[in-house]
Amino acid sequence: MKLWLKIYLFSILVFVVIFNAASIMVIERSHNKMLGQAIDVALSQNMSIHSSVDAIVPILRIYDSIDYEKTVLTRIANEFVDKNSDQKIYLDITDDSNRTVFNNSGFPMPAERSELGNLINNRIHYILRDMGSKTILFTANITDINHKAYVFTYMKDVTSVYQERVDQYKFFAQVDLAACLVFMMIMLIVSKSLTRSIDRLNRTAKVIAQGNFSERVQLKSRDEIGVLGASFNEMAGVVEDKIIELERINEEKQRFINNFTHELKTPLTSIIGYANFLRTTKYKEELFVDGLNVIYSEGKRLESLSLKLMDLILLKKGHFQLEQQSLHKIIAEMKPALDIMVKDKGVQVVLDCQDANLLLETDLIKVLIFNLVDNALKASSAGQTVALRNFWREDGCVLAVMDQGIGIAKEHQDKIFEPFYMADKSRTGSGSGAGLGLAICQNVADIHNASIHISSRMPHGTIVEVIFAPTDTESGSR
Amino acid sequence: MTKRILIVEDEIHISNIIKMNLNLVHYETVEVYDGLAALDVLKQEKFNLILLDVMIPSLDGFELMERIKAYGTPVIFLTAKNSVYDKVKGLKLGAEDYMVKPFEAIELLARIETVLRRYGTEDKVITFQHVQVDLDKREVVIQGEPVDMTPKEYNLLVVLLKNKNIALTREQFLEKVWGVDYYGETRTVDMHIKSLRKKLNLHEQIKTIYKIGYRLEE
Repeated sequence: MKLWLKIYLFSILVFVVIFNAASIMVIERSHNKMLGQAIDVALSQNMSIHSSVDAIVPILRIYDSIDYEKTVLTRIANEFVDKNSDQKIYLDITDDSNRTVFNNSGFPMPAERSELGNLINNRIHYILRDMGSKTILFTANITDINHKAYVFTYMKDVTSVYQERVDQYKFFAQVDLAACLVFMMIMLIVSKSLTRSIDRLNRTAKVIAQGNFSERVQLKSRDEIGVLGASFNEMAGVVEDKIIELERINEEKQRFINNFTHELKTPLTSIIGYANFLRTTKYKEELFVDGLNVIYSEGKRLESLSLKLMDLILLKKGHFQLEQQSLHKIIAEMKPALDIMVKDKGVQVVLDCQDANLLLETDLIKVLIFNLVDNALKASSAGQTVALRNFWREDGCVLAVMDQGIGIAKEHQDKIFEPFYMADKSRTGSGSGAGLGLAICQNVADIHNASIHISSRMPHGTIVEVIFAPTDTESGSR
Repeated sequence: MTKRILIVEDEIHISNIIKMNLNLVHYETVEVYDGLAALDVLKQEKFNLILLDVMIPSLDGFELMERIKAYGTPVIFLTAKNSVYDKVKGLKLGAEDYMVKPFEAIELLARIETVLRRYGTEDKVITFQHVQVDLDKREVVIQGEPVDMTPKEYNLLVVLLKNKNIALTREQFLEKVWGVDYYGETRTVDMHIKSLRKKLNLHEQIKTIYKIGYRLEE
């Protein structure tokens, strides 16, 4: 059963029970009160007859005549009845031998009259009887006149009191029906509006479950459901962020695989193509040498790709011990190797290093410097210089590699750290390199808790800065 | 009539090797190394076929494909990616075929030939020195005289002609002439080659290549 229906039915049930019970109690109480009043009035009337009869008892005693007694009693009774004729009052007087002295009731007196049993002087008994369609209150007492016990029965028609109760019930039934209808309508709106926000929450959850992670629930209320909605939105936000993050990682991986396949298949295609060409066609010396050269250089390219990839994998997995080392000594050590590297292209390497003792892993730093200089060299042309500087700045020790080469366009600058990314996509010219250099540098920098900043102006050259965070905050090894 | 093929491939060695192979079987080639250059060349010249690499600078293969649809030139994609998604994308864009690197030269030639045949630009008659082969009639004529040949001999001759100057292995001959399911001995090829040489007087032209197979040389 739905929640709103539960709330609805339960509240209606409770309302009907309580409302009816309370109303019945009120009606019954007022009825009892009215009945009590009617009885009180009847009793006091009875008392007044009794006292007026008592008042003439001494006179009757003087005359001591039964007829006279009856006459007087009848006259008193008539007088009394006349006086109260509009109040549906009846009087019955019987003597001790059960003969009627006076009766104005107009209906036969009941044969069995339990109120008369044990009736003693100066006590009034009363009883309610249904006489046909009427309800009559019987009040009886005994008056002793000249040693004869006269039974005075004073009767009052209280049908109207009962009729009143019936009317009350009839009226109540109408009110009850109206009240229930109004209540049902109000509760329908209330229970629906209470559960509407839950419905909305549910709909949003379903939309999200279908993969639309940016969906949010709109609940303005500040009650528990509103709070739940807010928590729900918060949860959806976290899930969405995670999904986006996962998608990004997945995309990155896919891109890595795509690039890797491309980098792997390109030299393979050349090698297989040339080898097959040489093997299946007529020998021509010139083609033969060219072909073998391509096979050799592409083979070398594959080798360097596999080495760099290995570096990258090792860097990602590796656990390296950092030691206190002098950076400028490492650079000085590398100078001859760098000179050889740049000589072919007619480029010069210039050093400008301050002393810097840092926590380093010598081999990794060499890889880093080698890759940065290699990049600088690729951008440079003959006669230009590549400067290698090492100095302290407020944010730490900076290792800078500056070239005067072609620079890097703005649109490439944020992507060049991605594996296989190459700003110069057409590899027709340089040929070597797979776009892994900066990715490797980034990993080396991460291991040293350093960051890499690149500033470049086309075509005035590039400055790559590796900034090592101040050593006193370093933990020592990672 | 010589067929003209545009090679759009940024990797110079791959471009060269494709060019060399195509030139061997007398296709005329033009090479460009990026998308925009390809667009320029296509504006000025007409080609029978385009070999298009997907990952090329300035305008990638898929984008270029969209722009050159109007020329109606058949395109074969060359790419290192072999994901189904890329294949479907390439073919949906209207490419005739899709080749994944690294590929064999004879496979490339076969596919080029298929596409050209589909576009009706394939020669109906192949002439090689004194031998004329009518592909529609499946007829071989020497100096006006038809030569009596078995179907296998005929198919073998066509394979040789279509891959002239390129050596094929006996296994490749078996596959192309007898079909992939054929589990015969490679000696079958030798026997058919022998009878071809004799019937068509191609003793010099059909060369035996040591450790490989046979090659039809001009």
